[in-house]
Amino acid sequence: MKKILLTLTVIGLVFTSCEKDKPISTDLTINFTHTVDGSDLITNSMIYTNEAGENYDVQTLKYLISNITLHDDLGYTVLKDIHFIDISDESTFSFTYDNVPNNNYYAISYTMGLDTAKNISNLYVNENYHAAMAWPDMMGGGYHYMKLEGDFNDSLSGYGTHTGGTMGMDYSFNNINDISLIVNDDLGSVDVNINMEINNWYKTPNQIEFSTYGMGIMGNMQMQMDLKQNGMTDVFSISVNK
Amino acid sequence: MKKLVYLLLGTMLLLSCKKDLAPMSGCTENTAVNYNANAITDDGSCIFFSTTPFIIETPSGFPDMIIPSNNPMTIEGIALGKKLFNDKILSGDRMQACASCHLQSAAFSDTNQFSIGIDGLAGDRNASTIINAGWNNSNFWDGRATTLEDQAHDPVVNPIEMNDSWLNVEMKLNADNEYPTLFKNAFNIDYIDSNHVVMAIAQFERTLISANSKFDKYLRGETQLTTSELGGHAIFNTEKGDCFHCHGTQMLMDNLFHNNGLDPEPFIDLGLGEITNNTSDNGKFKTPTLRNIEFSAPYMHDGRFETLEEVVEHYNSGGEYSSTVDPLMKKLGVGLQLTNQEKQDLVAFLKTLTDTDFISSK
Repeated sequence: MKKILLTLTVIGLVFTSCEKDKPISTDLTINFTHTVDGSDLITNSMIYTNEAGENYDVQTLKYLISNITLHDDLGYTVLKDIHFIDISDESTFSFTYDNVPNNNYYAISYTMGLDTAKNISNLYVNENYHAAMAWPDMMGGGYHYMKLEGDFNDSLSGYGTHTGGTMGMDYSFNNINDISLIVNDDLGSVDVNINMEINNWYKTPNQIEFSTYGMGIMGNMQMQMDLKQNGMTDVFSISVNK
Repeated sequence: MKKLVYLLLGTMLLLSCKKDLAPMSGCTENTAVNYNANAITDDGSCIFFSTTPFIIETPSGFPDMIIPSNNPMTIEGIALGKKLFNDKILSGDRMQACASCHLQSAAFSDTNQFSIGIDGLAGDRNASTIINAGWNNSNFWDGRATTLEDQAHDPVVNPIEMNDSWLNVEMKLNADNEYPTLFKNAFNIDYIDSNHVVMAIAQFERTLISANSKFDKYLRGETQLTTSELGGHAIFNTEKGDCFHCHGTQMLMDNLFHNNGLDPEPFIDLGLGEITNNTSDNGKFKTPTLRNIEFSAPYMHDGRFETLEEVVEHYNSGGEYSSTVDPLMKKLGVGLQLTNQEKQDLVAFLKTLTDTDFISSK
């Protein structure tokens, strides 16, 4: 008993002595960045070429990332339930999670789109993405995971890569990326960047041509599966700036 | 001697007056409507300004309406707004009211392609409907007004519309027999200014809610659609017709701007581009709700189509090429390729969005 008391006192003293060094909170900013062939996305410019050799531009990019979660050895911390990114609104390009609990985080995970539990019509009626992302009940209901739209073929034609829960199927996918983030009252501001490489939606393992599958894919389960596979392969990457 | 008498009388007069100024009773609360600055003792007569709150019932599938915090909905404000909306006092020479070009029977729109102002001049856009406008993120076809309050400022002073000045309108309202009391009751103001005029009108407009069409009743399981209407519903809500991307959700609009392929470049009307000065916005206009579309002819920002059949035919044909046509509509020269039956079905579905209560309610 005495030993325990002594230990506790020592620990207490250690903690008290530590208080002299003012603890710095760790504030984590998640940034969503977008590239085409490694360069920052420029909208409304017919300067891109997909794997199939078609030139294209990007006019609209709206998507939902959900379950953004930090993982440590004992558990996890959900940073945000759903985040909506709209390329025409810079304020959607990041969010900050203040006072990350002390832990040794080894990974970050996030879901592209909404899983079945979340993908329900009118569930987010008061969110600013409700009207833009709603997916008709007739085609399964819920919300678009992503709307990526623009012109191709020297702007003579349009494409619309719309992903979502076709006929109630779940085509959302979860990515988990290693990060080494040891938080111990000492990091201050940390940036984690989640980058979307747009060309890779149309590349590996499934090459997708706009001239064939540019549009009308909301009811096409094979295309939704192909885009999910491509998305899981190499569309997203993570970088950390401490 | 005479002077002395006068002096004495004058002093007496002043003294007698003083008695009246001495301890006066009245309402001493400075927040009260009948606050008396001269009163020293409170006689319990204070009457405080109060209004009756009006609660908007959010229809199923609609977001909560965003109401400006400085203009809460009240029974008094709404009634005043309705009176103003229908009163020609807001125009020069008392020729027109808001309701002259926003007719309830036409879903608060104008059956003329272009509305005619008080001086006989025509505009170049079709009057917008006022249906569920409380959910608009922006107003006018080009979105130049954010709130309904902002919107109402414009037509009163537009030379080709009501062509008055706000100074003159304020003068007329303040000199009126009824308005000073009505504004006092709604906003507790002693002088009527333009800001409170548009606040009252906006309150009234926020009550113009349509959510009881045949389609709503169908969604609520209260009625069944015909085979043709159901066929149209399927075309509308799949990529076959691809109407829902702009006219989706229970609001039947996306609160965004699109170029739906009406004209080739150069555009006569730049629409959103004129406001943003961004060339990629040229030819884009705000998506209107399709509720009560049966009554709001003619159609498009310039009222070029007289019938729903013409509208459907426009989309079916694929439209005109321009650089800013919405990508989802860029099936140029191909279009939707609907059969005659499918076109009829689509029109039949559009007519299920008719809400007769909305058109006829007092």
